Order: sequence, then C-alpha cells, then structure tokens
Amino acid sequence: MESGNPLLDDYVLGLCTRERPRVCFLPSASGDADHYIVRFYRAFPADRCEASHISLFRREQGPDDLRTHLLEQDVIYVGGGSVISLLGVWRAHGIDAILREAWEAGVVLCGLSAGSLCWFDEAVSGFHGETRRVEGLGLLPFSNCVHYAPGSERGLAYHDLLRAGMRAGYAAEDGAALHFVGTELSRVVASRPAARGYRIAADGERVMEMRLATAFLGDAAAANVTRLPRATSNSLSAA
Amino acid sequence: MIVPRILTLGGHDFTSRPPDRAVSELMLRLATERAGGRPRICILPTASGDTSEQIGRFYAAFGERPCDPSDLSLFRLGRRPMALRDHLLAQDLIYVGGGSLVNLLAVWEAHELQAILSLAWREGVVLAGQSAGAMCWFESGITKSSGRPEVEAGLGLLSGSLCVHYNNEPERRAAYLAAVGNGMPDGYGLDDYAGLIWEGPGPPSAVTARRGARAYRVTSSDTGVIESPLPARFLPAPAPAALREDIAEFRRIKSMRKRAGWLG
Repeated sequence: MESGNPLLDDYVLGLCTRERPRVCFLPSASGDADHYIVRFYRAFPADRCEASHISLFRREQGPDDLRTHLLEQDVIYVGGGSVISLLGVWRAHGIDAILREAWEAGVVLCGLSAGSLCWFDEAVSGFHGETRRVEGLGLLPFSNCVHYAPGSERGLAYHDLLRAGMRAGYAAEDGAALHFVGTELSRVVASRPAARGYRIAADGERVMEMRLATAFLGDAAAANVTRLPRATSNSLSAA
Repeated sequence: MIVPRILTLGGHDFTSRPPDRAVSELMLRLATERAGGRPRICILPTASGDTSEQIGRFYAAFGERPCDPSDLSLFRLGRRPMALRDHLLAQDLIYVGGGSLVNLLAVWEAHELQAILSLAWREGVVLAGQSAGAMCWFESGITKSSGRPEVEAGLGLLSGSLCVHYNNEPERRAAYLAAVGNGMPDGYGLDDYAGLIWEGPGPPSAVTARRGARAYRVTSSDTGVIESPLPARFLPAPAPAALREDIAEFRRIKSMRKRAGWLG
C-alpha cells in the first residue's frame, strides 16, 4: 500500500494460487481510520482480488463471524499505526488466537510497520515517543524493527535493546520486506532499489548487523525468479 | 477536601442545538469549579478510534469558550507524542467520547491508562463522558461493541451498572433489564440528554438537558426488575456563541450610552 508503488502489493498477491485472491484488511492499528480503508480498496481493486476489511470499532458493519471470515482469506493485511493499541484491541476481540489459527492453516499474513511488528516475539516500537520493547503475537521467534536505518536514532535504540537482552531479530528499511515461510526467513524483497533488510544480534556488548541480500522487485529479472512453493504459514513483514 | 466527581451522560453531541449547548455548559461549569479559573479540558476519543470527526466536534464546542481544550489521541501518538500521565493529571476535566466500550477499555489497558484515570479522579479531576465514555466508569454496562447488546465490565470507579441511550435503543434496554434480572448489579438507565452527577460516595443527582429525557434507577426485586424515574434538575441552554457576542456588544453600547448620559 505504498502510494504510487504497487510492487509489494503485487508480490503479496503473487504468493496466492487463487486467481482472485481473498484479501482482508485489518486497520485496527490506525483506529480503523476511514482514509486508510479507502486507500486499501484502491490498492487492492476488485478486478485483481476479492477485498474486504474488518473494522473492530464498527462491528455492527462487516462480517458477523470474524473467525470464519478470516479463515476464508488468502491474505490478511494488517495496516500501520500504534502496535500497542493494535494488540490491545485484538486481544479484546480474540483476533490474536484467530490469526495464529489462520497462519497455521496457510493464510498469508502480511503488514507494514505496526502490521509487521505484531507477528514477532518482540518488537521495537518507536511510535510512542521513546523507543521501547513491545511483546508481539510471537508467531516469529525473533525481534523486529521497522523504519530501520543503520545509525539512526531508532536503529541505535534497537541495538541498545539487543544488548539489554532482547532476542536476535530482523530489521527492515522503508520499502524492504521480510518474507518468512514458517519461521524461516525465505527472501528479502524491496519496492525501492536501495532498501535493505538486516539480521541483527548482540553478543554481549557487541552488536552484529548483517545486511541481507535483498531483491528489488522493480527489476524484471528479480521479480520473475521461481515462485515459491505454496508453503504453509507465510508471513510478509514490510517496513 | 477533594471530592471526586464524575458526570455520566446517556447520550449527547457537540452541536449548537440547545440541549447540546446545555450539556457542554455543564461540563465547562464543573471544570471551572475545579480550576477556580480558566480550566483545562481534554477529550479522550479512544472509543471511536480517535476519529477526526469526534475530535473536531469537541473543539467546535469548546474552542471559543473560556477554557483550554486538548485531545489525547492514543492512535496518533506517533505523529504527536504526549506524556500521558502528566497531561491527564494536569486537566480539570477529562471527557471520554462514545464508541466501542470493549476497544476503549482494551486500548486503555494496553497504554496503562486505568491507573492514571483513577488517580486523576481521586485528585479531583472531573471525569465525564457519554455512551461508552459513561459506562466505562461503572462496574459494568451494556455494550454493542460486537454488534449485539452484551454485558461488559468497566473500570468500577462507580459501583453498580449503567445502560445508555435508554429511550432510543429498545434492544439495549431489554438486554439490560434481562441482565439485571439475572444478577448484573443494580444500576441506572439514562436517556439521551439525561445525566448523573456523582460527587463523593453518596447517590448521584440527576440532570436533564431536554424536556422528557429521564434518568432511571434500575433495581431487581422479588417481583422483577423495577425502573424508577429519578427527579432531575433541568439544565437551561446558554445563549449560542453568536448571540453571546451580540449581547456583549449590546451591553458595551448600553454602558457607553449610560456613561454619556444618553439613557439618563
């Protein structure tokens, strides 16, 4: 849902075998902001997919049975915003358990920013002024930092958290996406030529930052590499 | 001595219609009493997902009045970080807007706001709200957060239960009566434009901003659930903003004339 850049959206739809994949948007982290929902439907038009959304602030509209609806999807797309509010609202509606079930059933889970952090065991949230550690859903047994840039304030804060005992994990620059199959990182792709993903771990006081090979999706050669097998438990986290 | 105060409303809006102006005026009065001067009033629009609409209406009602209005939008802290505790404890009145009671409480819990609000209340900051923003202070309320009316536990600063929009939503009222009959704590039903002012530990006093809008005490007994209307004080609407300016202008002219001896 990058404005004017459909590369990552195309990549997500490309993971589905159904001709018109079912894609459901969860805008909870934004407080179900109307303008965000409109942007989603523009990015995922009816000729390409069967798009829907669930607004947890307006349950009187939309599907009555959230579990059935979510388990029928090919892709569940989680929007950005406040990861703390997101997880709070999900717990209140039992969405956390349903998403785990959907992931185990092979639904592709994806999202950006807060919608990336939420899948990991530990997340670095810079949303709330000071950078802090937030516990995520824990589907992926790593830590995650989005909007990453080596040497940036948030980047250094992530390093500090790692030194203080946060588990090793992955960071993504804006435009980069981490594609996991099961709990294994399968590929790093990007919608911008220079965007990169990183593997980051601390060994005592030393932080090791490993730049990951990242395929730019705008390059035809990279975009056409062999399609991944229709594996279960995909998740795509973008910054 | 500090008297903790809460204003709970069955439903209202921030328009320029007389009953809405009367409710806003009551809030301004309660806040001004606490401040002893120009009060600070903050809206927590959490239950709506911090919609611009709810925030905009709040500012439209209080922006031109003698107070310092602000909003604390938990979903927008990324763009506008705020020190939650410091900001809330510095207020004279905290207003909680309507929306999803379930989401309101879940997001507050995630941001650890309950303890701050409870402390603010004990320190005399007036807590106010309508719909979900009224039920949240009680032990329990009847929410439609999941579509159907259901019982949901609140923060419990006020004992008993509350059902809002009592006159307007028959299915919510029916669910409430059934729940009280089944052991939900006794409580109150509030029509739109009816409210309860809670001061200290005693029973609340009822107010109404629209003729016919009522507050009910709802109790279970051996013979069933009883709804007893409470005597309520009527809140007159203040003059609308434009008229207030006209009146002020008229008074200025009158006093000038008086000084000039034109009126004898």
